Amino acid sequence: MTFAIIAVSAVTAAAVGIGAWGVRVARTTSDLFVASRAVSPWWNAAAISGEYLSAASFLGIAGLEMKYGASALWLPIGFAGGYLALLLFVAAPLRRYGSYTIADFVEARLADPRLRVLAACVVLLIGGFYLVPQLKGAGLTLGEVTGAPYWVGVVVVAAIVALNVALGGMRGITYVQAFQYWVKVFAIALPAFVLVVHLGGLPGRAALLGRELPRAGPHELVVDVDHARTVIFPEAARYEAGGRPRRARGGERVRVPAGRLVLPAGAAVPVAEGIEAQRGEDWARPVADGGRASPLFVYSLLLATFLGTMGLPHILVRFYTNPDGPAARRTTVRVLGLLGLFYLFPGLYGALGRVLVPDLYVTGQTDLVVLRLPEAAWPGLGGELLAAVVAAGAFAAFMSTASGLLVSLAGTTSFDLWGALRRHGSTRPGPGRLAPFRIAAVLSMALPAGLALLTRELDISVLVSWAFALAASTFCPMLLLGIWWTRLTARATAVGMVAGALTATGAIVAALVAGSEANDTVLAQPAVFSVPIAFATMIVISLAGRPVRGVEVHMRALHAPEGLGLERPVSTRV
Amino acid sequence: MAAPLTAREEVRQDTAHGGLYLRRLRRAQLGVSLLALVVFAGLLGALPLVILLVERLRDIEVLGVPATVGLVVVPPYVLLLALGWLYERRANGLDAAFRELLDDDEP
Repeated sequence: MTFAIIAVSAVTAAAVGIGAWGVRVARTTSDLFVASRAVSPWWNAAAISGEYLSAASFLGIAGLEMKYGASALWLPIGFAGGYLALLLFVAAPLRRYGSYTIADFVEARLADPRLRVLAACVVLLIGGFYLVPQLKGAGLTLGEVTGAPYWVGVVVVAAIVALNVALGGMRGITYVQAFQYWVKVFAIALPAFVLVVHLGGLPGRAALLGRELPRAGPHELVVDVDHARTVIFPEAARYEAGGRPRRARGGERVRVPAGRLVLPAGAAVPVAEGIEAQRGEDWARPVADGGRASPLFVYSLLLATFLGTMGLPHILVRFYTNPDGPAARRTTVRVLGLLGLFYLFPGLYGALGRVLVPDLYVTGQTDLVVLRLPEAAWPGLGGELLAAVVAAGAFAAFMSTASGLLVSLAGTTSFDLWGALRRHGSTRPGPGRLAPFRIAAVLSMALPAGLALLTRELDISVLVSWAFALAASTFCPMLLLGIWWTRLTARATAVGMVAGALTATGAIVAALVAGSEANDTVLAQPAVFSVPIAFATMIVISLAGRPVRGVEVHMRALHAPEGLGLERPVSTRV
Repeated sequence: MAAPLTAREEVRQDTAHGGLYLRRLRRAQLGVSLLALVVFAGLLGALPLVILLVERLRDIEVLGVPATVGLVVVPPYVLLLALGWLYERRANGLDAAFRELLDDDEP
């Protein structure tokens, strides 16, 4: 595993190095933001994609696919589709308006400083929940690479990212994020190509696409069970656990002790609680009559990701680095291409993993499939080198997203909340120059890190879908109506955002309380009803009130093309 | 008597005419966006139902992968890129037309 440690260190060092170089370049022009506005759409698009492709994309999609089946492949479609929604309704107008963050926009557009505080609170909620899975990914990856316990990885990466952001490194530097994008594409694509060629196509077709269950290979399968857990045997089997030979009937739930679990060659692999043992033909079905693959669940998931992307706190900030509206459009179209390129690959890992690393079904840790696959598919030096490449890509994934999120969270805490309390000046200070920003960076990392330690067994993607559902039910209606509808009022926005947030959160909490049964229902994926509720609330209350004064000026700032001498920046908080 | 305002001045000074020009641009832009959205929602929204209802798709294989899986892995991303590209051209075209409208009666 030394290769993996070297690769991870190299990627991290390169990112920090490019960041240091970027800061120097920015300083010579004395203004970080102006400097980054000279960035071309290709750099910008790579940077946006680099910041966006997180642990959920790099590890989570393949893990979910292995666990639940091909229905997980709708998730990346929604992740990429979110940028179409951004392109169609938000990118160009918001860039013209000149808002740096969501909180800036909502206060300027609706002329109510209280909305800034409300928006800031929602940003913290969404960003915090989105940060947790990044740290979980870090704990998993570092554990795989070095053999360290889970908590060590979480704490180490949380500390590195917090320190880096607090000291001003990696502050959303465009070049670092663009570099990380290409690292990630390379790290997911190269091993995928090499492994498929090495294996000579898709192996174990019966388990993959036919009537078979995942089985132990031609040799006996040894699983390291980290702690005593309940597993379900899909078929009768002899096995060895705790050093003694045992037998299980088909469908029997068995408590296996920590230690070695040995399955004879060809035995159907038992699955952890919460996983259903699926035959290949069911597993390979993207849509089915019920459960997570039901059309309603799929539509709800697509809606949440399609509309939620624009509300993630670290996304809109990046669009500010475009010089004007048309550049924002051009950048977004390229993002669609770059994300599509990346998302062609994770599905392959989930499919190969189903056949080649079925032991992950026993422990339920299918999030590890991307990291484990290379060495399982190609024992020896080749697999070890590929594993190093994949580990470096995973590391780049959560480092870039976590850094982007933390910059947004710390900026929100120190400027929007702390600043609103102190009523200090109206200019946005550069991040990293103020003590409050540094303190906020450390605090904003401490809470998600604690949560990541407590939620080890939870899938990376559960928290991610919560964050998306929340963003889609709060910021998405606010942005869409604020940009395109003249009658939106401040009161309606506040009530609508609260209503959307409560509905989405309430449904997800209810699903968690109800347990694994509700996990496959639309309660766990509430966008399909929480988004309409938020929209309806905002529209109905707005119609009863009076529109913001001077709304035509806002509309002109949002929609008038550049180069006419019409621009009058409405938002001065930049 | 003051000279009649140019279109550019109408917009700049928020006159009734200026407001009309801008509103027309905003509506046209929204129309293009909604059209793209409807095309996207129609095509992608139909995909889950097609996969669920058309039984024959399960028997067709492309490069050893069932068509149902293949349909989810590649075409949606091509659709996203193509729609995005078409939309960009159309939206920039509307902006250009607006610019020409205002520049037409420049002295």
